[in-house]
Amino acid sequence: MRKKQWLTSGLAVLTAATVLLAGCSNDSGGNTPQTGGTNGEVSTDPVTFTYFGFGNNKDVLASDTTIGKILQEQTGVDWQIEFVVGDASTKSGVMIAGGDYPDVISPVGELPKLLDAGAFIPLNDLIEEHGPNIKRVYGDYMDKITHEDGNIYILPYTANVNGYLSDPDAMSTFWIQRRVLKEFGYPEVKTLDQYFDLIEQYEAKYPTVDGRDTIGFLTFAGTAGEFFTITNQPMHLAGYPNDGNVLVDLDTHEANLYMGTDYEKQWLAALNKMNSKGLVDPETFTANKDQYLAKLTSGRVLGYVNYAWQIGDATNNLKAAGNDDLRYVSLPITFDENTTDAYIDPPSFVNNRGLGITVNAEDPVRIIKYWDNLLTDENQKLVMWGQEGETYSVNEEGRMVMSEEQLANRNDNEFKRQYGWMYFDYEWPRYGDNSVYEDGNAHRVFNQPEVAAVNYTEGDKVLLEAYGAETFSDFFADPIERPWYPAWSIEKEQGSPEQLFGQRSGDLQQKYYPRLVFAKEAEFETVWNEYIAEFNKLDSAGFEAFVTKRVKERVDGKW
Amino acid sequence: MEKQTVQITQSTSGDSRLRALIKTLSKQKMLMLMSLPFLLWVIIFKYIPLWGWTIAFQKFRLARDLFDQTWIGLENFRFLFSEPQFYLVLRNTLVMSGINLVLGFGTAIVLALLLNELRRMYFKRTVQTISYLPHFISWVVAANIVQTALAPEGIVNVMLMRMSLIEQPILWLGIGEYFWGILGVTEVWKNVGWNTIIYLAAITSIDPAQYEAAEMDGASRLQRMWHITLPGMKPVIVLLLIMNLGHILESGFEAQYLLGNGMNVEYSENLDIFVLKYGMQMNNFGLATAAGMFKTVVSFMFLIAANNLAKRMGESRLY
Amino acid sequence: MARANTFRTSSLGDKIFDVCNVIFMILLVCVTLYPFLNMFALSFNDANDTIRGDIYIWPREWTLRNFEYVFSESNIFHATFISAARTIIGTAVSVFCTAMLAYTISRPEYALKKFVSITFIFTMYFSGGLIPNYLLIKELGMLNSFWVYIIPGIIGVFNMIVIRSFIEGLPEGIMESAKMDGAGDFVTFTRIVLPLTVPALATVSLFVAVFQWNSWFDVFLYNSSRQNLSTLQYELMKVLSTSNTTTSSADAFADAQSSAQMVTPTSVRATMTIVASVPIIMVYPFLQKYFVKGMVVGGVKG
Repeated sequence: MRKKQWLTSGLAVLTAATVLLAGCSNDSGGNTPQTGGTNGEVSTDPVTFTYFGFGNNKDVLASDTTIGKILQEQTGVDWQIEFVVGDASTKSGVMIAGGDYPDVISPVGELPKLLDAGAFIPLNDLIEEHGPNIKRVYGDYMDKITHEDGNIYILPYTANVNGYLSDPDAMSTFWIQRRVLKEFGYPEVKTLDQYFDLIEQYEAKYPTVDGRDTIGFLTFAGTAGEFFTITNQPMHLAGYPNDGNVLVDLDTHEANLYMGTDYEKQWLAALNKMNSKGLVDPETFTANKDQYLAKLTSGRVLGYVNYAWQIGDATNNLKAAGNDDLRYVSLPITFDENTTDAYIDPPSFVNNRGLGITVNAEDPVRIIKYWDNLLTDENQKLVMWGQEGETYSVNEEGRMVMSEEQLANRNDNEFKRQYGWMYFDYEWPRYGDNSVYEDGNAHRVFNQPEVAAVNYTEGDKVLLEAYGAETFSDFFADPIERPWYPAWSIEKEQGSPEQLFGQRSGDLQQKYYPRLVFAKEAEFETVWNEYIAEFNKLDSAGFEAFVTKRVKERVDGKW
Repeated sequence: MEKQTVQITQSTSGDSRLRALIKTLSKQKMLMLMSLPFLLWVIIFKYIPLWGWTIAFQKFRLARDLFDQTWIGLENFRFLFSEPQFYLVLRNTLVMSGINLVLGFGTAIVLALLLNELRRMYFKRTVQTISYLPHFISWVVAANIVQTALAPEGIVNVMLMRMSLIEQPILWLGIGEYFWGILGVTEVWKNVGWNTIIYLAAITSIDPAQYEAAEMDGASRLQRMWHITLPGMKPVIVLLLIMNLGHILESGFEAQYLLGNGMNVEYSENLDIFVLKYGMQMNNFGLATAAGMFKTVVSFMFLIAANNLAKRMGESRLY
Repeated sequence: MARANTFRTSSLGDKIFDVCNVIFMILLVCVTLYPFLNMFALSFNDANDTIRGDIYIWPREWTLRNFEYVFSESNIFHATFISAARTIIGTAVSVFCTAMLAYTISRPEYALKKFVSITFIFTMYFSGGLIPNYLLIKELGMLNSFWVYIIPGIIGVFNMIVIRSFIEGLPEGIMESAKMDGAGDFVTFTRIVLPLTVPALATVSLFVAVFQWNSWFDVFLYNSSRQNLSTLQYELMKVLSTSNTTTSSADAFADAQSSAQMVTPTSVRATMTIVASVPIIMVYPFLQKYFVKGMVVGGVKG
């Protein structure tokens, strides 16, 4: 009996809690916040709000950082900033179940769940009334930040203002050791065949380094979470930017999978051929991250494939070691000489990452005004560059520059924490990375060519000169406007056929890639056919139709 | 024996049986006082949250109350049982936990017996303390060590090549068939010392007089281990065995996840990883709950069977 | 054990057995000590150098930087105190309660013995799930409180079974005579049963203490916004996740490629392992003596 009573009362309590929660979200939907009233009346009394980020960072009180302190002096607002520890999905689950939201959330990958739960308040009216700067910055992106129900829930981090300046140090995914290029007099390397050929020639000439075997080629495919590294390459080799698992046609906007196509086959056949020559590292599919990084820093590897951000530790290590010959450079590799590479990201807008105000926030007006204040040119300079004369200086031509020491600070994680860049330079309403200030300076420090130049080592300069380039971006073709980009940010509904397809196709690739790469050359065709037979069992047409539909919607302005 | 007296007093009518029970209980107030608060505790903390099982029958969305959920009947179970992959991961789960069960029990019991035979106290204590150290390292670290050791240039291949047992380095983690063995050995390495603790405690309850008597009879070391120490440990062994049989579908998760890769996935992927991929990672709590219910049903079947078997064999049992 | 020394006559077979046994134990020690030596070496080795790999049992470039980094988490000392508190209180409460419950279900005459046993045993094999558990704790008003570390774990079913099996192994005569002397169940439990089951209690205490000390998930779920209730393991998890900031997430990659890393997850994890596990490992040698004591008691009763 008792058990049953507990059960029913438990259920009653739960129901009450959820009803209450649903009630809360309904209440706050649409109606203007009670506090504040008009523009001028918002107080600057000291107040501390809570910020929760679903990224990894160290918790902090904003006013303990230089930037946070300055912003507090301007607004009276301080932030208790917390980040997720452990599994983000679990955290968002309990947060939603309990309705225990902080004032603002940067949901990263947890956005769909939080939106579905009604965790965020609509910002439309708040922006209209209190956000002149927000309107200036996000004005061009209104269709992209407005959700299907007509409301704006989050302010994304990628709204570029005043034109578009790309990264002077763009990188591709195909890396080659610099001594290989040096050995052969800095040849032009454009195609996959040329790239592999160069590795083969060098390996034949120098089979060992310091008594240990040279490793011809490897890629980061040993852990499930990084397997996309190897599967994404046919896309790049075919001359497409990272749209996830599809290639989107520039004219028709049809999205087609490249899995199971000749592109994929060509890539795997090339790896297979390299393997039969003994040039692919046998641990390609089994090494963990530590083992992978250890190989990259050993100097034994001639070429590797991955995105630069996957291995920051290794590249820093090599740079610090000071031997430029053992460092790597990325090249604009494609299948075909005539294909234009697409390694530099086209101007893009990531609309599913951003900062939102939750239903628990008691004073949304103060928050929105804080954000608005953040979006002035001056404060954007503060969060990216810091204070003039201290962390950067302005030369006589009015260009913002950093000395080597200042740059070292801008790169130092500890300094970035103390100063506040670590907290304020990204996950807040902000100018996109490719923005330009009114005065023509770059918003992102490393997009300023003058700063990029300070970062170059002697070896960098030699290399750039050999190829007649000013910056590493000169290696690559200029990006082409792709109004849907990036297709990978298209949300797939939970438990939908598309989501299931993504998981199943990924499983299939993980199983067959090693077999295809390590198969005897003569058997490659057989294994490939087996793979295709399995692939054909999946509903790829349905997936393509779904992505195509969403891409076309985006092109039509409906994000 | 006392229990029988209770049963004898029971008459055929339910009413008087209840009265008899109340009468007995009224004599056992202290025992009730010592156990019923915990009964309340277990109901609150373990049984009430079971309402969560309703999620298995829903297309569950957070922050919706029970009546606003979309009820989909047995759809989640249907998906689970119709997925060919499910049977593969079920096989892997059963085999791996079977291996863990046999190896884990065997090695821990043997180690406890051997430790007990060490003559020098400080040596025994040192070995014991060190042997349980790997239990305190996380699986991430342990898997890293295993991966390093099993690499083509790792210590295992180097030693085997020195001993001329193999000519070429073997890519141990790249050959699916080896995975179960590697996992079994890894689990033993990590947990054997820890698992021994409970047996060593059991050995302390053995009456030393038995050993003296055996010595008098001229029993050898092995005979003493076999006829005195092992039987002394038996009740604990049997109990642990029954409890662990109930966990037959829990073959661990982290080790398989960390040591698994594309080349051995057909052997390494188990039920928990499957649920993670098709349930949690897709925010499909319903599927995860359905899988949990399936595991519970299987657990109960094994548990009850094992307990009945023990009962029939006259061994100690769980309940 | 002490007993073994009393055997005066040892045959050749015995000697061979002893030698083999000792050799086996030494091998075992080598294999099981290695991970710790490895963690030790990694934790004292420069993080940037560790990336190059091949660190086994001795650091290549000594540094205290990893420890400085871990201890720079200002809350870590208070968190260690909370960890110690929950370990001590949690273990004491849980072992006492579990033993008491185990005693009641070891009494053959107890009419509810089977009902109580089954009710508890079954709970080992199911869980309502994360969210129902969270909501329960919330409704009970136990969020952001120290008691959430203690109360939900008050009874360990596995431990209960272990203790019960030890109690059942005691000679029935001891308890009978206590009853004869007019002792009630509670007195019998505290005066007779507890002292006689010290080895079992020591074992179970170890299990509970290690569990308590290593817990971080309950902090994460229930107390993550309360700095003053954070535990050592949770603070270390924070340090670890911070060290991941710029290395592995595509979202935060804006400046990652140029950021100088002074620590890496691998080094932090090694340092964490040393910091978190050394205190709890120290517990075992102290508990070991109770395994012997238990025997002495057993000897007396014999």
